[in-house]
Amino acid sequence: MPTILSTVVVQSGKSTRASFEVLTRCRQIADAQGWDLAAVILAPDAAAFADDAALYGAKTVYAVSHPLFESPLNTPVVDALAAVIEQVQPAVVAFPSSEGVKDVLGALAVRTGAAVLADVAEFDVKDGGVEALRPVMAAKFMARTRAEGSPVFVSVRSGSTPAEEAPVDADVQPVAFDAGTTAQTLREVAAATVGGAVDLSEALVVVAAGRGVKDDEAKRLVDELAAVTGAAIGASRAVVETGMFPATAQIGQTGKVVSPDLYFAVGISGAVQHVAGMTNSRIIVAINKDPDAPIFDVATYGLVGDLYTILPALIAELKKANAAA
Amino acid sequence: MDETFDCIIVGGGIAGLSAALTLARADARFLLIERGEWSGAKNVSGGVLWGHDLARLVPNYWEEEDAGWDRFVNHRRLTFMDDGASFSLDFKSDHLNATPYVGVTVLRSRFDAWLAGKVQEAIDQSTAADESILATDILVREVIQEDGRVVGIRAGDDAFYADCVILAEGVNNLLTRQVGLQTDYVPAEGLAVGVKEVIRFDRTVLEDRFQLNGRSGMTNEYVGYASGGVEGGGFLYTNLDSVSIGLVLGMADLRRAGLKPYDLLNQFKTHPAVADTIRGGEVLEYSAKVVSTGDMRVMPREVYADGVLIAGEAANLVLNAGRAIQGMDYAMRSGILAAETVLEAKGAGNFSAAFLQHYRAALDNSYVMQDLRGFQQAVQVLHNPAMFTAVPRMVCDFGREFFTVDNQPTRKAYQILRDVRKEHMSYWDLVKLGSRAARAL
Amino acid sequence: MKFCVCIKQVPDVSAPIQIRGGELVMDAGRMVLNAYDASAVEEALVLTDAHGGEVDVVLIGPERAAETVRKALAMGAARGTHLVVPDDAELDSSAVSELLARHFEGHDYDVIATGKQAQDTDAGLAGGMLAERLGLPYATNAVGLAVEDGTLVVTRQGDAGQEIIALPTPCLVTCSNDMNDPRIPNLKGIMAAKKKVIETKPVEGLPAASVRVLRYEPMPTREPGQTIDGEPAEQAAEIVRRLHEASVI
Ligand SMILES: Cc1cc2nc3c(=O)[nH]c(=O)nc-3n(C[C@H](O)[C@H](O)[C@H](O)COP(=O)(O)OP(=O)(O)OC[C@H]3O[C@@H](n4cnc5c(N)ncnc54)[C@H](O)[C@@H]3O)c2cc1C
Ligand SMILES: Cc1cc2nc3c(=O)[nH]c(=O)nc-3n(C[C@H](O)[C@H](O)[C@H](O)COP(=O)(O)OP(=O)(O)OC[C@H]3O[C@@H](n4cnc5c(N)ncnc54)[C@H](O)[C@@H]3O)c2cc1C
Ligand SMILES: Nc1ncnc2c1ncn2[C@@H]1O[C@H](COP(=O)(O)O)[C@@H](O)[C@H]1O
Repeated sequence: MPTILSTVVVQSGKSTRASFEVLTRCRQIADAQGWDLAAVILAPDAAAFADDAALYGAKTVYAVSHPLFESPLNTPVVDALAAVIEQVQPAVVAFPSSEGVKDVLGALAVRTGAAVLADVAEFDVKDGGVEALRPVMAAKFMARTRAEGSPVFVSVRSGSTPAEEAPVDADVQPVAFDAGTTAQTLREVAAATVGGAVDLSEALVVVAAGRGVKDDEAKRLVDELAAVTGAAIGASRAVVETGMFPATAQIGQTGKVVSPDLYFAVGISGAVQHVAGMTNSRIIVAINKDPDAPIFDVATYGLVGDLYTILPALIAELKKANAAA
Repeated sequence: MDETFDCIIVGGGIAGLSAALTLARADARFLLIERGEWSGAKNVSGGVLWGHDLARLVPNYWEEEDAGWDRFVNHRRLTFMDDGASFSLDFKSDHLNATPYVGVTVLRSRFDAWLAGKVQEAIDQSTAADESILATDILVREVIQEDGRVVGIRAGDDAFYADCVILAEGVNNLLTRQVGLQTDYVPAEGLAVGVKEVIRFDRTVLEDRFQLNGRSGMTNEYVGYASGGVEGGGFLYTNLDSVSIGLVLGMADLRRAGLKPYDLLNQFKTHPAVADTIRGGEVLEYSAKVVSTGDMRVMPREVYADGVLIAGEAANLVLNAGRAIQGMDYAMRSGILAAETVLEAKGAGNFSAAFLQHYRAALDNSYVMQDLRGFQQAVQVLHNPAMFTAVPRMVCDFGREFFTVDNQPTRKAYQILRDVRKEHMSYWDLVKLGSRAARAL
Repeated sequence: MKFCVCIKQVPDVSAPIQIRGGELVMDAGRMVLNAYDASAVEEALVLTDAHGGEVDVVLIGPERAAETVRKALAMGAARGTHLVVPDDAELDSSAVSELLARHFEGHDYDVIATGKQAQDTDAGLAGGMLAERLGLPYATNAVGLAVEDGTLVVTRQGDAGQEIIALPTPCLVTCSNDMNDPRIPNLKGIMAAKKKVIETKPVEGLPAASVRVLRYEPMPTREPGQTIDGEPAEQAAEIVRRLHEASVI
């Protein structure tokens, strides 16, 4: 029976929500095709996350533990995943499309002779191949794309399938891995100082700032809005370039793809390359003083006006609401 | 590195590219500078390119698979409208199917890019293949003059020198003013605002709706309601799978009326005679551009000086005499003539104003200046409010009665004419206008 | 150091593009140098200016893509190679990386740079694939590069923050456009480029693409939005009410 292998990404000590979305989609496909659903986890103590995978229906969990997986070096990750794929011989391997995954996908595909569908919004198994919808042209269009090969890799944008639990008790298989030598050396990891409690790609609420956020006054309002809504802070390229926000916060074609339930676009015009990273958000609230700004084309609710007057009112109103609750 | 060229051309529009093609064919060493990312990038406009000069520049262009033009014109219509009705003169003739065509519709972003390709080909085949250059994405800021004569241009912090410079910079003739050939201030009376949309259709829908056949196309000019009482008129041209529709509005009159071109365009598009032709189309682009009306009073003082020639709309070589807007054809011819003059001058080793005035002479002898001079009155007539108010209303009222069969005793056409005339303007005004128009057109 | 940057010609995504019969239709005129590759070229030029060395570029594409090689030369690259494929050639990242790998067999560069992704396909694969084929250490999504005697120091944008990784040369790096603002070639550059050689080689034996585009489709449209008018206070009250109803706050 063919296997569909879903990759669980562990970040700052927990499995990512995106991983569960992918697992969920893989389970649906496994059920439909009558395939086996397996998961693979790379972490210093991978077995510790096996339950997460089981909670979303992975019958077999391949746990590869090694301290190196703490570090962002790609060589060990490629080696380890290649070994697991060699052992499992899956028909399809699915990944959440994180930076870490993007870092290894290409090399791993060549190593294992896989065909790759990168960064898909949607995928399914169809007559012996995998078909996917991929946003292209800065997410102006979808390309219905087909890959044939064994295996086929698919990396999936966050927010494409709502995660559903489907607990099973999984057979956890530790996979021995001895890291060869890697030519790369890690100098340092500068954890970004985005502000905002939550990690951007995981957040349920995102407050994103654009060039309209001109000064510390405006930035303070953005921070406060994020605080009262428990949001992660995102940014457009314009304000990442000025250094007002770290590149980690960038949302869009170059930056991250986010899909929160609620997305505030504050002083963002809505260029295609930005919209490319946030159209999957469930509710989009745009605050912009230019009624013709393209952001209003994708917004669920548009507030036309000056952020300097709207944000304070909004924050006050939200505080009232929180107090009431 | 300051190599000197035979010629530097500023502007990669129709005038500039036509000059370049002429120079390249004669193995001249030249530099053409276009500020757009590519030729056509900045030219959202478009329309009908009239006349045979294109065939002179690119022989048998109609045989080429995907040449840059859209459709050849074999069907023309002039429509008078008031707010409810429209009355058209409609002309279609198979003599217009013969090549070389008398007019082809073009979308500038495609056409200019294609023409630039032709220039590059010509350069590659010339003996100056390694020296002549089409440079895009570069803005010429300054014309370099030394003791009263133009010797080169400055772009960014680079300076480049040439025996002579052709300014083909279009209507916003900054550099032409810099060299003192155009007064800093062109009176609004001499200028019009062009607003235009390109509306896309499935090719088959378009061809059925406008009775097009293969590559054939139609043009429609509109007077009256089109311009909402403002001096000017409307136009609609069919492209391969889109129409260009727009208004050309007298700037002064527009200001006086305090109206917005875009609002007028939208109003125009809702007129039954227009709405029905563009139904279901998808607006691809909107553009607004200043265009000169062809009023010679706003032409540059001269089109040449020591070491410099002005071609195309930079010299206000545009005519808008009711029949059609002409400018691309003048741009093409003037570009060719300017280049030919440069080649003569090169032969003679003389780039003085005295010699370069051959260009002026050539223009004067060409249809360009003869048209412009000949149609000055027409341009004036068009300034007459009656032309875009009373006259079209009158025509429509006539149509209303003449074409309505309502079981009433039917009156003779002349009676109808007499009455509608009475209603709209004095007999003498009409006669005066009529005779002036007759003489002018 | 000797750099080679892999560059791609892509459609200008900000140009009007439509779908007809599942195909993308756009103005042939509007093709540009992939923005991420432009950043890679820019960074390579800056580094070689500072530390000595040269920058070459290589492009796989149809005849008309030559203008994009010319553009890179006008920016300051020394030599260009144009591997010519038919207009309708279907190349996925894997095929591209295979052709590039063939090309690099004959050369020795200290650093091979690619863009982090192609602006049109957003695949972001060819870099890593090429590194694997050539057996080179690599890093992706670089936002900063530095050269320290014989090693390339890459600052890359990771999920959580920025990571600084040192690569021994030869190595490969894929570049983000957050790295710099690529220069726009000036006239002198354009003229100099005219005199530089572009080595043009037709590609024999196109690798079969394992990934094919069946057709293009419009983006799923979102619910039409609504604007909420009124004084800021009113706007705020109304929006908060709605967000509560949707139970997102
Ligand atoms: C290859 C490539 C990749 C790219 N990737 C990304 C990406 O990943 N993410 C990204 O964001 N961009 C990206 N860009 C850049 C993108 O094209 C835009 O330049 C950028 O998104 C603009 O950011 P902005 O909307 O904040 O700034 P602007 O476009 O300048 O918009 C500022 C907006 O703020 C509004 N405003 C100003 N003042 C106020 C006020 N007081 N109150 C309310 N509103 C106000 C203005 O009306 C305006 O609409 C990319 C570009 C390229 C070429
Ligand atoms: C709405 C509208 C409809 C029209 N319809 C018609 C029609 O149907 N038929 C017709 O024949 N004419 C028509 N015209 C007129 C016609 O468009 C112009 O007369 C014609 O384009 C003039 O060509 P040109 O080459 O002189 O100038 P342009 O076509 O304007 O070219 C000038 C070029 O120079 C470049 N440039 C300018 N300054 C600089 C600089 N400093 N450095 C570098 N580059 C520079 C510009 O980017 C541009 O590409 C119309 C005009 C308008 C506005
Ligand atoms: N046709 C091509 N020629 C040269 N380099 C290419 C080509 N296609 C892709 N690349 C390089 O590979 C990078 C990633 O491409 P992709 O994997 O298609 O997103 C691009 O930024 C280029 O640097």
